[in-house]
Amino acid sequence: MKKLLAGLSLVALLVGGFAFVQDNNATDLTMDREPTIYGTSSTTVQF
Amino acid sequence: MIEIGSFIKLQRTKQEMTLGELSEGIVSVSYLSKIENQKTQASPEIIQLLCNRLGIEVDNNQEEAIKEKCQQWYSMLFEVSDKDEVIATYKEIQEMMDKNLSDSLMMFEIHKIRYYLILGEYDEALKKINELSEISGTFDNLQQYYWFKFRGNYNSSSGNQNQAMYYYKLAEERISRLEIEENEIADLQYIIAITQSKLRNTLEAIDYANKSLNIFMKQYNFIRCAQCHNVLGISYRRIKLYDKAIKNFNLALHLGKLDKNKQLIQLTNQNLGYLYSTKGDSVEAIKHYKEIIFDCEVDIVERLASVSSLVREYYNIKNYQEARNSIKYGLKLIEEVQDMEPYKIFYYVIYTYNYLLSEKFDKFETLVAKEFIPYLKLHKDYASIVIYAELLAKHYEKLFKYKDAAKYYKEANFAYEQISNI
Repeated sequence: MKKLLAGLSLVALLVGGFAFVQDNNATDLTMDREPTIYGTSSTTVQF
Repeated sequence: MIEIGSFIKLQRTKQEMTLGELSEGIVSVSYLSKIENQKTQASPEIIQLLCNRLGIEVDNNQEEAIKEKCQQWYSMLFEVSDKDEVIATYKEIQEMMDKNLSDSLMMFEIHKIRYYLILGEYDEALKKINELSEISGTFDNLQQYYWFKFRGNYNSSSGNQNQAMYYYKLAEERISRLEIEENEIADLQYIIAITQSKLRNTLEAIDYANKSLNIFMKQYNFIRCAQCHNVLGISYRRIKLYDKAIKNFNLALHLGKLDKNKQLIQLTNQNLGYLYSTKGDSVEAIKHYKEIIFDCEVDIVERLASVSSLVREYYNIKNYQEARNSIKYGLKLIEEVQDMEPYKIFYYVIYTYNYLLSEKFDKFETLVAKEFIPYLKLHKDYASIVIYAELLAKHYEKLFKYKDAAKYYKEANFAYEQISNI
């Protein structure tokens, strides 16, 4: 019973999460590695 | 012609002279202030006297030579080339600028922002931005274009992508009023694509990457094309168009190999590894990550990024022995990095799994809850919050600590909401 109640409260919390507003300023530090913003020309020495 | 008032103000502040020191015996302090802020037109005699005190010759004998040298230097800053050469040319121009009143001065000052950024001197770049802010109202359209672009670059480098985008858009607006070379337009579009990608605005990233790719292809600029294909690969993966993503990454790999550009090849391998990881193909993911980790020609940050990914991949497929081996190697790399601050994320990832696998659960809980998740929140890296909040929640769930588990599942869910439109 205790486990069931805990499970139910967990579901309620998860559903509650959907009320949050989306942030349009998200960034990504690890997953994808975008190339540098600084131009890299062919056959040049890299900094 | 450069506005003389702005020029005098620039030279005076550079030489750390006060208004009083420069004006003494020539004009009143308030009149000098009016000259500097272009609220009055001073006579040629007064200008001559002020320039004499500043040690500047009011002639333009060297104008053509300065202009030519500046163009050469701007090209070096556009496509990053030899560091020593960039610095030497900068010093040469600065010497000429100190002795001459040149039309090229303002553009040179604006390009210093980019120069400092490329050298990694971010404080100097900010100082230059603040200094130029006072006279930015006098910039013409072309000067405004670079002013906004480089301010965007500064924000990109400091991780403030939203602010960076704001400036890039202002720069983009100036393009229609100017006659700018195609490769400069392509460069701005490429930077916007990268920034949109970092902000997870996937469709915009695809749009801008394609625009710049079209121009770079016409110019046979293989490296820039490969960089665009990387952005396209990342974007298509995010919308689960895996075939298109793989095609773009393979093109990037091919172009990188043609140019023997190790950085680019390994960056693409990292992205391909992550693609296969999200598809659930751990064997392929590990294959790509492993290409990078022992490649000493590649920046240590890229090796750290792939070790972190490798640790996570091995942990997910429950190959704990290999995960431990990768952690060991990751800790060795961390020791080699002098300034860990910019790469703190990898430190957290490696230590998170290290504590988890060595069953130091107290340390694991403290690190993830008190340091790692707050760090990710600060940087708004919601994708990583989903992963590590869920990892912590699952850990609490296993220990029957349902209240704590619910708290972190909720954190994960909230973070997920930030990066997905349901």
